[in-house]
Amino acid sequence: METILKWLKANGYESVLAGVNILVLLLLGLVLGDAFYSISNMQSMATQVAEFGLLALAMSLAMLTGGIDLSIVSSAVLAGIVGAEFLTGNIFDLETTDPTLVMGAAVVAALLAGLLCGLLNGLLIAKTSIPPILATLGTSIFFTGIGTVITGGASLPVRVKAFFQLGVVTVASVPVVFIIMVIALILAAIALKRTRSGRRIYLYGENSIALRFTGVRHERLIILLYAVIGLICGIAALIMVSRTASARVGYGEAYLLQAILVVVLAGFNPFGGRGKILGLVLALMMLQTLSSAFTIMRYGPYMKVFIWGAMLLAVMFLNRLMNRNKRATKGDESNDGGKAMVAAEGSPA
Amino acid sequence: MKSPFRSVFGRRSTQVERYLTVLIIVYSAVVGFQNPRFLSLETVFDIVHEGAPTMILAIGVLLVLISGGIDVSFPVVAICSAYVSIKLMWAFGLDALWFMIPVSIVIGLLLGLINALLIHFLKLPTLIVTLGTMSVYRGFMAITLGTSQYPVATMPKSLAEFGLANIVSVEGEGSSYGLSVFFPIVVVIFIVTWFILYHTMLGRAVFALGSDEEAASRIGVNLLRTRLFVYGYTGAIAGMAGLMYFAAMQNVDPVALQGFELMVIAAVVIGGAKLTGGEGTILGTFLGVLLFQLFQSTLVQLGLASTWASFFFGAVLLFSLAMIYYRQRKSDQRNLVFRIG
Repeated sequence: METILKWLKANGYESVLAGVNILVLLLLGLVLGDAFYSISNMQSMATQVAEFGLLALAMSLAMLTGGIDLSIVSSAVLAGIVGAEFLTGNIFDLETTDPTLVMGAAVVAALLAGLLCGLLNGLLIAKTSIPPILATLGTSIFFTGIGTVITGGASLPVRVKAFFQLGVVTVASVPVVFIIMVIALILAAIALKRTRSGRRIYLYGENSIALRFTGVRHERLIILLYAVIGLICGIAALIMVSRTASARVGYGEAYLLQAILVVVLAGFNPFGGRGKILGLVLALMMLQTLSSAFTIMRYGPYMKVFIWGAMLLAVMFLNRLMNRNKRATKGDESNDGGKAMVAAEGSPA
Repeated sequence: MKSPFRSVFGRRSTQVERYLTVLIIVYSAVVGFQNPRFLSLETVFDIVHEGAPTMILAIGVLLVLISGGIDVSFPVVAICSAYVSIKLMWAFGLDALWFMIPVSIVIGLLLGLINALLIHFLKLPTLIVTLGTMSVYRGFMAITLGTSQYPVATMPKSLAEFGLANIVSVEGEGSSYGLSVFFPIVVVIFIVTWFILYHTMLGRAVFALGSDEEAASRIGVNLLRTRLFVYGYTGAIAGMAGLMYFAAMQNVDPVALQGFELMVIAAVVIGGAKLTGGEGTILGTFLGVLLFQLFQSTLVQLGLASTWASFFFGAVLLFSLAMIYYRQRKSDQRNLVFRIG
């Protein structure tokens, strides 16, 4: 009992999130009942959350360093297009080549493309000091451009039937894509908590200048981080392609807003240094359950856009209130990064 | 001996401005070589007509970037204010520009002020705040007013005429063309913005806020008032640009311009506006938007499909960014300046 209390105290924000999650789940159970708590709905939710969860993980890693990655969706789409190119029969003759070989090549190509996208981001941010927000804005347009040139703006159809299985196959009625996402989240949590580079990512977000003065090769760290982000986008791309059986420019544009929403909801500080994978998991769960509930309730796309936007603003507002109270009790220990606080104290308004 | 540039602008040209000018001239020469008809007055007038709404939006973005923020909600603000003003006008049974334009500007102003208040009091990255307001504005409008499109036959007649009106008309071979009424509007907005930025205390405050928020507030800059001005002004001119966009397209589409925000921000950033230092020039912005517009409309004449537009634009953007920030990095290293991030 005592350990539980201790845990709750140490993970205050996560406990609140978990509580809200339980509340939402109970409420949906009351309102929707079996339409929500059915195996098929659970499975479809697990499948849907997979690609989005990976993209959100990518975004959260960027935010831990105080950066942001606006190119996650476009890198994923580009990686998907590169992978799908192998599955359309343009490169291999699908009649004569072994499907396993074709799929293997597609997987490697997509992951490699994602990795290269991330690497380019990392190099631009670390080696030329372009602010992450602008660097990834530029690369997102550039990646979309490459994707448009490859496809001519059309949708690439996937002709290797076996590849669709990735999005459908289940292990003990759990979709494989969901398992992939869970593994990625667990690996990220371990890497952030237990490895040297992981701890340094937090330090970088907390105070990148101090980290530089401790002699850490901060540029290599950033390049590595964005490369990993790109790789995660590559994995998400494979899931996207297998689920939609095609790849096209413009897919999943709404994911960018949702990814930022879920990461902010998860308690990550956009100025860097704060955030836990556990929070991300809880926030993802909440967003997905709500999203499915809205679908069952037949809300239109704009209703969803409105709700996500309002939620993002509300969460930021609540965070602000909570942080303000914390500061009142704990002296001036600020929680939201030096840059932002300065204005709060100095503003005459 | 003053250089001609200096006597007009009263300052030295920036490196980015020179590089963009060369790029635009070379590019136009290449296109003109492929297609001699390109180098004509008609092309210039066409670009003015098509590019005017983008140019106005870009001025707003420039202001926000100079103040150290990033606003992604402005295309939605533009579309929402224009659409709401049209709906409101119909509710009164009118069809008049004198009603639409002020109403649209006021709605844009209000939406911009909401942005400013949220940004000021939430103290979070402006990108995230405006991403939230963007969704709320668009979602709210779509839920309450619907998303019906009004093509040229059903759109307000005065607005359709506004889009085709010219101040100067030239009779060409077979077809006549002219300089759109958009031109004086853009010029007025340029001049007003230039005057505010460089000749008023408010303008100095915007630069100060972007350069160093802490220093700005310590020398007595009212941060809230400055933000209210920056985002309010951006919203107000976006309201104007929204109507102009509908007029130019000859189509009222309440879900248009999705994803356009990143393109406009990119154009302004190419023009040398810096996120980290209260830097940016109106001329640079003009050149950046011009380059964007050229890529959009002329790649076909080079024998390339328009699908190459994003590719080239992205490549130029990355190159410009690398050039701008690498220079800053070198000078920071020389001067032992350390920046967060």
